[in-house]
Amino acid sequence: MSIPKHHPDPAMLVEFSAGTLGTAQSICVAAHLHFCEHCRNEVLRLDQIGSQLLSQSEPETVDSNLFDSVMSKIDELPEEQEIKFDKEDLRFPLPVAKLFNKAEVVPEWKKMSSSVDVAQLVTGQSDYEVALHKICAGGKTPKHSHSGKEYTVVLEGSFSDESSVYSEGDFILRKEGDEHQPMGAQNGECICLSALEAPIKLSSPFGFLMKPWLRLNPM
Amino acid sequence: MLGTKIANFENKPKPSAKMGVLNSEKRSDQWSLLLVDVGLNRSRKSFAQLFAHFAPLLKSFAQASRHEGWFPGLSEDLVQEVMIKVWQKAAGYNPEKASATTWIYTVARNCRIDMLRRKSNTQHLPLENEDFWHEPDEETPVTLLRQKRSEDKVQASLAQLPPEQDEILRKVYLEGKSHAEASEELGLPLGTVKSRVRLALQKMQILVAPEFRDELL
Repeated sequence: MSIPKHHPDPAMLVEFSAGTLGTAQSICVAAHLHFCEHCRNEVLRLDQIGSQLLSQSEPETVDSNLFDSVMSKIDELPEEQEIKFDKEDLRFPLPVAKLFNKAEVVPEWKKMSSSVDVAQLVTGQSDYEVALHKICAGGKTPKHSHSGKEYTVVLEGSFSDESSVYSEGDFILRKEGDEHQPMGAQNGECICLSALEAPIKLSSPFGFLMKPWLRLNPM
Repeated sequence: MLGTKIANFENKPKPSAKMGVLNSEKRSDQWSLLLVDVGLNRSRKSFAQLFAHFAPLLKSFAQASRHEGWFPGLSEDLVQEVMIKVWQKAAGYNPEKASATTWIYTVARNCRIDMLRRKSNTQHLPLENEDFWHEPDEETPVTLLRQKRSEDKVQASLAQLPPEQDEILRKVYLEGKSHAEASEELGLPLGTVKSRVRLALQKMQILVAPEFRDELL
């Protein structure tokens, strides 16, 4: 496994560690951490801030029955149902494996262009559209610009654009107005996780008349 | 970090169940030893001691929350949920990796997010927050010594942060504000909030540029 060269902004890691990062971004950060020992250690150190603040908190008396209540719940705990992952599932980071391989309805790959397939993931939030993209070897995507933020993490293989080559674990943030033309590597297909910010909030009373926004940007 | 590496942990030499046997590679603080005892021996006595120490801290942590949708009545629910998780997951606690306090903080953070998500979501998210902290199996262990040193550094330097940096970290970690929300509340530009956080992290030597990874600490 190569060492990722593109990392999330430290502010994102702080919010991840503090637990204030949105679901979609958290999935992307977790996917990056799967590949990046450097950032994993950084998060471990960041967790120590929370730990210190917790241990310095002014203790608050808890209800005198709380301990007994916890103990009786412990005695009634059902056996933990573990989801079994095989090796094939775990080639992806765990949250992706759960959302893709182990989803109640396994997402389908759909053709988006001659060289790109996409599979939408159900993540229980609507601020970002989270999906997997598969670019075939040497596949060219159309040049496009972004209408909102997009986070991308390479899960398998590599792709390149005008500015760099991105390999497994690389974390890429595209901002509004960025323009680029990603291209799959020649030597094999590339699978990426991406979270694309919803450009329009359907807040108007006629929102239902508008189509749910369509993903036009492949990467 | 949370119970997902049980198999690996079993392969390592087991931490002595007899407490008090210490050497440089064992974590020796009282809470970590108790937590290991709960994990290995399902000791209710040790669990009771952990509860007596952590439940009041966790309640205080819960009461500090200013998350949207959070109200003080949830505090003891959170304490209860966290302590049950501690019991369930204790076998996965790896004292080489983190102190018991840090581990319990991560359990509390994850439970808090899951509780908030359950309250606010109409759609079901098939993930629990601890899934985000799953570690791949080929993990190279961070040595305890290095880990300890960084904990001591964070502890010592957190106490010496200028008030404006301390304030923001508290807002983020305890109240659960994003950088953007903190900037709005404090009437500061987002850039200022981010740079204060970054200065604090540099002081605590938490941030290390990727190119220096090998010289870490």
